[in-house]
Amino acid sequence: MNAVLVYFLRDMRRWVRGRLNVWSALIMPAAWLIFVGLALPTRFTDSYLDFITPGILVLTMLSAGMQGGSSLIFDKILGFLNKFLALPSPRESILYGKILFITVRGLLQASVIMLLAVLLGATIFSPAQVGFSYLVLFVFGVLLSSFSTALALFVQDHDGYAAVNALLSMPLFFTSSALMPYDVMPAWLRAIARCNPVSWAIDLIRSFAAPPLPWTGFAALLLLAAAMVAASSLLFRRVTV
Amino acid sequence: MVAIEADGLTRRFGDLLAVDDLDLAVDREVFGLLGPNGSGKTTTVLMLTTLLRPSAGTARVSGHDVVREAARVRERISYVPQDMAVDIKLTGRENVRFYAALYGVAGRDRVDEVLGLMDLADRADDLTGTYSGGMRRRLELAQALVHEPEVLFLDEPTLGLDVAGRRAIWDHIADLRRGGMTIFVTTHYMDEADQACDRVGVIARGRLVAIDAPAALRRRIGGERVVLRTDRPAPPVAVGGIRLVGREGDRSVYHADDAAAEVPALLAALSEEGVVVRGLEVSSPTLDDVFLALAGRQDEGGGFDYRSFRNMIRRRH
Repeated sequence: MNAVLVYFLRDMRRWVRGRLNVWSALIMPAAWLIFVGLALPTRFTDSYLDFITPGILVLTMLSAGMQGGSSLIFDKILGFLNKFLALPSPRESILYGKILFITVRGLLQASVIMLLAVLLGATIFSPAQVGFSYLVLFVFGVLLSSFSTALALFVQDHDGYAAVNALLSMPLFFTSSALMPYDVMPAWLRAIARCNPVSWAIDLIRSFAAPPLPWTGFAALLLLAAAMVAASSLLFRRVTV
Repeated sequence: MVAIEADGLTRRFGDLLAVDDLDLAVDREVFGLLGPNGSGKTTTVLMLTTLLRPSAGTARVSGHDVVREAARVRERISYVPQDMAVDIKLTGRENVRFYAALYGVAGRDRVDEVLGLMDLADRADDLTGTYSGGMRRRLELAQALVHEPEVLFLDEPTLGLDVAGRRAIWDHIADLRRGGMTIFVTTHYMDEADQACDRVGVIARGRLVAIDAPAALRRRIGGERVVLRTDRPAPPVAVGGIRLVGREGDRSVYHADDAAAEVPALLAALSEEGVVVRGLEVSSPTLDDVFLALAGRQDEGGGFDYRSFRNMIRRRH
């Protein structure tokens, strides 16, 4: 069996058996959907829930991805990483297994959130939208998990990692197009939001409500994700030899 | 072909010379590397297991260079670090199967075989979170053995285990050695090294200061060990071939070339100083004494260099 898959399955098994962790990660995005999506009075749209759902799906992936590096931190601290590095399978497969695990875990969590959104009354335009949303979330997840695993290589302990994570996650979310459309943002926020990759992912999913699809946006996200995978592979190789 | 060969192996961390010009040849034996904390044991093991690049010198393991043919080396060795890293949310069998898959070992048979070998067959399907420390260590050995390595590296294999657990681990190591495997261990436990190792190397401040069979090293120290219990710290009197080598509380440890002939003179000299002797004990030297004589006391030397230490820890991860 491919080593990437072996590492992936190990992490999946451990995660699913964690039980509490499986559900606790869903509470925050679910709370956003219910307490903000259903309750916030807005003038720019008839259904704020429809507007915010893509943002919350991306938020789910954002927190899953950013938090994912801690899995590598623990492997490092507890001595697993050294054992894995002494194995004959290609060392990068440790990194790719992690990226795959963090991304797939995020997709599973996003699926639950998507289901919840539909139950709350969000509109699904077509099966193609769902499929495309998964594709965007996957690419976005790869981008984030490569970043967070690279970060994990350099941070010494879990506290430090959690601090950096908190420092980045919330600002990334609030400076994106998750909560309001560009035309109601103040000019300074609009400028930031346009450059924020979190917005790119949200806009792509949202674009199904008003086609055509912005393929250039997708290409940009794809390119950024590829660059991040390359960068984290390079760092991983440098740190582990 | 010699299983482990090191030639001038050296590793620097900034200003710190962690391993200094190490020459070594180990083959089909249980070899113990002994040394105080920070003496370079783990750094040596990390270089031999391809986890750390030497600053200078070369090493070959199973006939392959640890830098240029690292992947080949990794196919032929197993490394069990001291951290005791097994996935507690997986069963024993899943833990071993995971390594079998990574080593490219096919089939359930080998997994069952190593679990049986380590006496874990009846608990194989329990989560390892329910295992005792000794069982977890044996599970790590099972993982390490699944691909039938030629050389096994064990870092402090009995750390934190109870007496029965330690004995079980050493028994298994002896079995593996009889099967023709080369086993390289680091340990703090001198009595265990004395019994279990064919040869030991003593490393101090990065330098290999002695390498021989434990009994030969004990003979090299020669003489006897005399321990006196006194009412106050004994002054360092030197009588004939007797000299003070250490103090622990009210106990003073002497080395004597010939205890029977020299102890009476020592007692007389002490009573002249007004020291009251309350107890006397004579024994042959242990590996501990060899170790202290060769490596010095652990807290000896300069102050703790925090920067070098941090540097070293960082490089390890």
